[in-house]
Amino acid sequence: MRNRINQFSPDVDMGYHQRVKILRERKLEDTKDKASYRSFADGDDYGAITPPEDYKFEPIPNHENGSFYGYEGWSRNFYKLMAEHPIHIDPCDAFANRWMNCLSWIRHENGINQFNPDYSYDHLRSEQEKYGIVTGIGSDAHFGGDYSIGLSLGWGGLLEKLEHYRKINPEHNEFYDAEVLTIKGIQVWMERTVREIDKAIEIETHPLLRENLEQMRECNEYLINGAPRTLREACQWICWFNMASREYNRDGAGCQLDEILRPYYERDMEAGIITPDEAKYYIACLLLNDPHYYQLGGLSPDGKDMVSYFSYMILEAADWLDSSCNITVRVHDGMDMDFLRKSVYYLFKNKNGWPRFSGDKALSEGFMKKGYPASLARQRVAVGCHWMSLPGLEYTLNDCVKVNCAKVFRLSLDEMMAGEGEKSTKALFEIYKKHMRRAVEVTAEGIRFHLKYQVYNEPELMLNLISHGPVEKGLDIVDGGAMYYNMCIDGTGIATVSDSFAALEQRIEKEQKLTWEEMYEVLNSNFDGMDGEYIRRMLASSERYGGGNTLADRWAVRINEHFTEDVNSMDGDGVKFIPGWFSWSNTITLGKAVKATPNGRRDYEPINHGANPHPGFRKDGALTAMSNTICAVQPGYGNTAPIQLELDPGMARDEEGVQKVCDYILTIFDQGATLLNINIINADEILAANENPDLYPDLVVRVTGFTAYFCLLTPEFRQLVVERIIKAS
Amino acid sequence: MITNIQRFSLNDGPGIRTTVFFKGCNLSCKWCHNPETLSLTPQLLVYPDKCMGCGACMQVCLKGALQVVEGKITLDRELCDNCGECTKVCFSGALEMAGMETSVADMMCEIEQDMAYYNRSGGGVTLSGGEVLLQPDLARELLKACKEKGIETAIETNLCYDFSILEYLAPYLDLIMADIKVYDNDLHKEMTGQGNELIFSNVRRLDELDIPYILRTPVIPGVNDNEKEISDLSRLAGEGKNLLYYELLNFNPLGGSKYDGLDMENHFYEARPLPEARLEDLKNIALQNCASVRVG
Repeated sequence: MRNRINQFSPDVDMGYHQRVKILRERKLEDTKDKASYRSFADGDDYGAITPPEDYKFEPIPNHENGSFYGYEGWSRNFYKLMAEHPIHIDPCDAFANRWMNCLSWIRHENGINQFNPDYSYDHLRSEQEKYGIVTGIGSDAHFGGDYSIGLSLGWGGLLEKLEHYRKINPEHNEFYDAEVLTIKGIQVWMERTVREIDKAIEIETHPLLRENLEQMRECNEYLINGAPRTLREACQWICWFNMASREYNRDGAGCQLDEILRPYYERDMEAGIITPDEAKYYIACLLLNDPHYYQLGGLSPDGKDMVSYFSYMILEAADWLDSSCNITVRVHDGMDMDFLRKSVYYLFKNKNGWPRFSGDKALSEGFMKKGYPASLARQRVAVGCHWMSLPGLEYTLNDCVKVNCAKVFRLSLDEMMAGEGEKSTKALFEIYKKHMRRAVEVTAEGIRFHLKYQVYNEPELMLNLISHGPVEKGLDIVDGGAMYYNMCIDGTGIATVSDSFAALEQRIEKEQKLTWEEMYEVLNSNFDGMDGEYIRRMLASSERYGGGNTLADRWAVRINEHFTEDVNSMDGDGVKFIPGWFSWSNTITLGKAVKATPNGRRDYEPINHGANPHPGFRKDGALTAMSNTICAVQPGYGNTAPIQLELDPGMARDEEGVQKVCDYILTIFDQGATLLNINIINADEILAANENPDLYPDLVVRVTGFTAYFCLLTPEFRQLVVERIIKAS
Repeated sequence: MITNIQRFSLNDGPGIRTTVFFKGCNLSCKWCHNPETLSLTPQLLVYPDKCMGCGACMQVCLKGALQVVEGKITLDRELCDNCGECTKVCFSGALEMAGMETSVADMMCEIEQDMAYYNRSGGGVTLSGGEVLLQPDLARELLKACKEKGIETAIETNLCYDFSILEYLAPYLDLIMADIKVYDNDLHKEMTGQGNELIFSNVRRLDELDIPYILRTPVIPGVNDNEKEISDLSRLAGEGKNLLYYELLNFNPLGGSKYDGLDMENHFYEARPLPEARLEDLKNIALQNCASVRVG
């Protein structure tokens, strides 16, 4: 943690632009500091900074295994964390403090992060391992809160609300005690921060920065209890919620930022107490504080385009900051097309992977198939890596649950080859379907276990506060507090599996270049020797997923249809399950669980990323071919199978280029795509950065759903990103 | 015969396009970045760096043209008859055929997959090369098939042929993109193997077709990247009534590895694209003669 107070002589220009520029430079310094902390590697930028070297948090155990669990354990530890947490003040920043650590990481670092052992799921483990399932049991956050609840009440109002409902639900005192202690902890952190701002004011000599600190002090002192009244207060309150929620369990879900903040700005403008540049400065500082997932645009519940002048202002503020950011623009046919063009323009201008784009049509129509009205579907906003959430209304475990389809495929192949029955892709697909069905059942059983016992493991004490239901019922959101339970089950490895089926069909069945036995022997030898390598390349050059109406593309459609049907059939007892295709950055770990596959993938190499093809899927790398393939494997129930693109910076070098990219975006969303992540990156630059990451401290890449500073990725992750970009170029 | 069908093509006309590269050209521009399209017959490209030394290709080569030396493939082009059998057993990418016979129906299968992108962006199909008009029947049939499906069409051409061939395609064309490469006729001959009289004569007749067109000059370092050339060429371009715009295309060095693969001499091996500022200077010169000038 660096000292940022009194660093400039009083005559230095400190206009809003200049302050943001300084903050950006300081962020690069912070990023360098973070490179030596394992917790920050291979993840989102988060906006966190490193704590002082002498800072260490000692958790308070409430279980004989040394860990802490449940309402009492989490609230007590959170309060202690807040009471001891370092404080960071930067006079250039509109907002106080930054987050540095979180209870989830602390549990991990102390080796005490196992699920509460009093609630065993040993009966599920063997099949979970067999099918390579990322179970989600014990996972936290990954659903969206409704910020308007907190903004309208403030911490003081939330405390009053808790006491009000405590009287109605006295049997849930433990819940209310925990929530009250959670808020008290935040207030203690805020009070300590105000005292630190006081000290900073005494030291700071630059008149404008001192004035800023005085305003910061006034704002924060008021917000300890009060509900935000101005744009500055609203942004600072969001910062506090975000920081506290990160400190609790790394929750990174944001909100529909333009519509949440616009009323405050309009009120300030009406009162004559703000200028547009001042507002953009606040927004830039909010985005600096934490690159939470925010959505801009989209449709209001009654179907009107929500893009406003304020949406533009947020884009402009993000452009000022020119840093890691997770803004998603929701695209629909009736939207303000200038806004889409502006979004694409910034994407190419800054090359920082923002904004992303989501498709309203497929997302809304898909979610409606789960029985929800259009008005609700439109409110399901992009607030996570690859996921949407109804703010404050649903619990989801989004992005936490994965079925490793490559592993299911490989064990199906082993079963067929060990048996006496027919050896064919048809027979193999029957075995695959049988195992996939069981894998999905086991996954759903795991989720139901989680829903039953997670409250005794880790309640959602932060997000409960801005959800509709938990406080009113006195129940944690996992434990019956939520309005809806739409549980995510993502498939992974669709390209690995489709390519494998296609390679077998093409090389063994159609061309008869290989026998099943020859293929299997080579596979089990991990393509050893010259002959093995020759066969590997033969298999790998078969008709690939993403090639455009190829054998693998057709297999992918069948694989998706069965997976989707399996997941949907798990619905029941008030719980719905929604299928998607997404690996997150687990491609490496999921691949490490799977031996060689007939697509030419060697033992334990990564599986494909999300719904994307393996690199080198088509000689010309045609995005339209790949995009059509991904559009055709959308499960179509409101969750995503994202398209991840690596584009050359020259593609949108002029207005015509920008328009072509816009037209591409509109077309894929017409065709059923749900989410689009884009890296704008030059192949030479990424190669150079891979050699010397420290020389590129400001290089941001969209690793998957999240953006990260390239220098904070481990070599294994860097290689994965580099390979994608090089192959695409 | 074509060499490639490239989808999501953004630099070959308006909107999002699919570009079909015809094989064979009647010019031999020394800077060509698609050297595999120059010959009218199929050609074997060899990339020894990709070779894994398995020798599978040697076993199917009836001419004995291929040998693995120190683990890498070598080709004796004197012996090779470009039959392409070796490429069917090479999975490393070391051997590739440039040139394939294909039907209009097969091409349409690929082209139609991107209908939605053409419709949304005002794009379509561009026939490029090589020189498209060396295969007028194939080109006409393909253009006609596109129009029947409601797909906008364009060609990229060198205009170095009898104008009647262009008239033969005209009923199915929405846009013509033609190159005017070098104004100095001697230099044109030296650099492309042909004089520019026929080309310039055809340029002056383009308005007869009543089809919009774009005239383009590939700006080649040391050849035509000077004020006089660009001034003369843009004056020629500025005469046209149906000219949409005149475009200066920066030198494209991407054909380098293909020259190696074909064992052809790359005359512009060390050349690099012009700095943007220089192109802007040339654009300003061209603007003195043309109402609309772009840099591509």
